[in-house]
Amino acid sequence: MLDIQNLSVQYAGNDQAALSDVNLSFKRGEFVCVLGKSGAGKSTLIRCINGLLKPTNGEVHFDGKAITMLNEADLRQVRREMGMIFQHFNLIPRLTVLQNVLTGTFGYRSSFRNLIGWFSSEELERAHRVIADVGLTDQTKKRVERLSGGQKQRVGIARALLQRPKVLLGDEPVSSLDPGTSNHIFTLLKKIHDQHQLLTLINVHDVNLAKRYATRIIAVTNGKITFDGAPNDFNEEVFELTYQ
Amino acid sequence: MWFKRSSIVTFLLLILFIYLSMKQTEFDLSKFADFRNMIDFLSQWFPMDTSNLPRIIEDSILTLAMAFLGSFLGLLVALPISFLAAWNTAPSRFLYQITRVILSFVRSIPEIVFGLILLTALGLGPFPAVLAIMFHNIGVLGKLVSELIEASDPGPQEAMKAVGAKNGLANLFSILPQIWPNVLSNYFYRFEVAIRTSLILGFIGGGGIGQRLFNDFKTFQYPAVSLDVFVIMIIVIVVDLLGNIVRKRVI
Repeated sequence: MLDIQNLSVQYAGNDQAALSDVNLSFKRGEFVCVLGKSGAGKSTLIRCINGLLKPTNGEVHFDGKAITMLNEADLRQVRREMGMIFQHFNLIPRLTVLQNVLTGTFGYRSSFRNLIGWFSSEELERAHRVIADVGLTDQTKKRVERLSGGQKQRVGIARALLQRPKVLLGDEPVSSLDPGTSNHIFTLLKKIHDQHQLLTLINVHDVNLAKRYATRIIAVTNGKITFDGAPNDFNEEVFELTYQ
Repeated sequence: MWFKRSSIVTFLLLILFIYLSMKQTEFDLSKFADFRNMIDFLSQWFPMDTSNLPRIIEDSILTLAMAFLGSFLGLLVALPISFLAAWNTAPSRFLYQITRVILSFVRSIPEIVFGLILLTALGLGPFPAVLAIMFHNIGVLGKLVSELIEASDPGPQEAMKAVGAKNGLANLFSILPQIWPNVLSNYFYRFEVAIRTSLILGFIGGGGIGQRLFNDFKTFQYPAVSLDVFVIMIIVIVVDLLGNIVRKRVI
């Protein structure tokens, strides 16, 4: 479903490559956690997948399309099939939960309709349904800056869900949350993942979370893949190598 | 502890600049020896002549209309331009540079110069004054808003791109809600400035209470002048209060 071939990323003014010659292949239904130190290249990897970042070299194929070769309009079509959640949630301040979630439909609608804020009853109904799915029905009309961190991430998840994604990307979605909330968010992500048979790719710092929820773990060290396998095989030795 | 040796140099330099500036501006406190003249002069201002009050209020409304229309049209034009003049939303490097140059050019021309040109070209009256205020405010608000855009959090913008929204829409939706309270705040300040500017533009024939003040002053009708000044003060205070209320409601 998703293939990464010879992917390399070199940031301007940096000697070391952020990613060098990465080859990975993912199937629908996999719940992948990406581990690695800060600055190892995890975020770079995730952002190459939905084209927020153009790689220096290599290709990303999604459902037979080479994402790295697409023009802006085609790239937008691919992006709407990939939901993304962020460390700092990246919600739009001053808008309500419902308004934020509804922006998840933007990729499917005309600019004019988006600007006017004209949503069909089907779209509104679906928005309310995903808000219920993440357990925020009581907060629907609340402005997002009044929510707690965990609730904000739930809004982020609902927004991604409204895209009807095939892929769910997460760039350290629980790194600014406490351990208990992190656990709840992961349980929710896993539930949604199973329900919609997604391909889920998430960066995490917490190895225990990864081992508990992932079906596959990838470790990135200095821009290279140093581990790719089952959670049970991620042992003490690999841990040392990843976080040395 | 709090002062470095270099701050003594700064201090001495400041003293020098103050001295030189006083020389240039013929700053001379001994002139206040004739302070009685000022009191005599001001005593002619009272009692206020209220016979013209209805016309003064009419002129005040005209002044408010000039200031509001000029600054608000300025904001409307400046808003889209400021997205071109911010590096994080400009569609191209070239457009970014060009709009910045145009904005600073427009900003560098004072309203009174726009006013002198437009009043000559279009004839006396409030319309050229409105245009003069608008042009200057496009330059000022364009710069202020583009700086707000540049200082906004890039996170929501990234999220809107990830959702598959078009660039322009992604920028608009992720940035405008963030900066809106500050935009309004800046706008109200500029509205206040525009009221004062429209007074000056009244002096050169732009109409409104500024022109009335100027005419009353030039024809030595000081009891009328005092009422003009009083009404102007009330307008400025009311607009300031109004601005505070709106800002509180928005934030």
